[in-house]
Amino acid sequence: MATVSARSRPRPKLYGPEVYYCTSCGSPIAPFKRATHFLCPNCGKYEIWRCERCRREGNTYKCPVCGFEGP
Amino acid sequence: MSNETKQPEQGEEYLVPVERYMAAAVRLGARVSNNYLQERGFIFTVRPDGLRIFNLKRIDERIRIAARMITRYQPSRVMVHSIKPYAFKPIQMFCKFVGCLPVTGRLIPGTLTNPYLAHHIDIDLLMVADPKTDFQAINEASLTGIPVIALVDTDSDPTFIDLMIPCNNKGRNSLALVFWLLARQVLRERGELKPNEDLPVSWEEFRVPVGQSQP
Repeated sequence: MATVSARSRPRPKLYGPEVYYCTSCGSPIAPFKRATHFLCPNCGKYEIWRCERCRREGNTYKCPVCGFEGP
Repeated sequence: MSNETKQPEQGEEYLVPVERYMAAAVRLGARVSNNYLQERGFIFTVRPDGLRIFNLKRIDERIRIAARMITRYQPSRVMVHSIKPYAFKPIQMFCKFVGCLPVTGRLIPGTLTNPYLAHHIDIDLLMVADPKTDFQAINEASLTGIPVIALVDTDSDPTFIDLMIPCNNKGRNSLALVFWLLARQVLRERGELKPNEDLPVSWEEFRVPVGQSQP
């Protein structure tokens, strides 16, 4: 049986404020967390969100539009 | 050690000639190195004496990308900071041309986090010259969710950095050339300079004069 990874699993539809997901790990970012967001440094077309854990560990993020890998 | 990254071929377009990069020792790293930059192809090779050599192509590419990122923010909301005396003049000159906010010297704790302080600064983007020495600013930026651009050396910690520019962040000439290139590229991205136009001052003007390393 084919296994479905956590990132590819369809997300449930949520009602209320928009939930942002970390570009690196895919985890939802709760309000008032120490996450950051900025437009892709290379193309500026996609908003990248990074959770606190990924920022601390220096996890790589990838822009889905231009393929830029950071940090 | 595997060197997966290749040096750029002859005739490839750089921001400045390769000789100038070499003369300013921009691509010289340190003997101490973490595996982070090596895995991501920032380090080209290791010299017999142990010094890491950066990939010039990646340095050039990152300077362009960083300039593009700085251009997207309002200049008065971008803070450039360093404690290193060798970075004082480059930062002040960079901010003079680009219009950013220079904060050289010690950053008083709470500057970015405590809005009740008289010296509180509200910014959207932080740029530091060395994550090792400017940890206070990076720490406060992490608390407030401000993106951070940093000049990193081989021994720098990637913690809380959102865009790293690999270069020699210890040298007088290197810092001057990198900030000069950044200033020129930001102005070109904004359209204030033509694509082949240079800054009115040379990169030597960005250097700290010899014997004035202390403020």
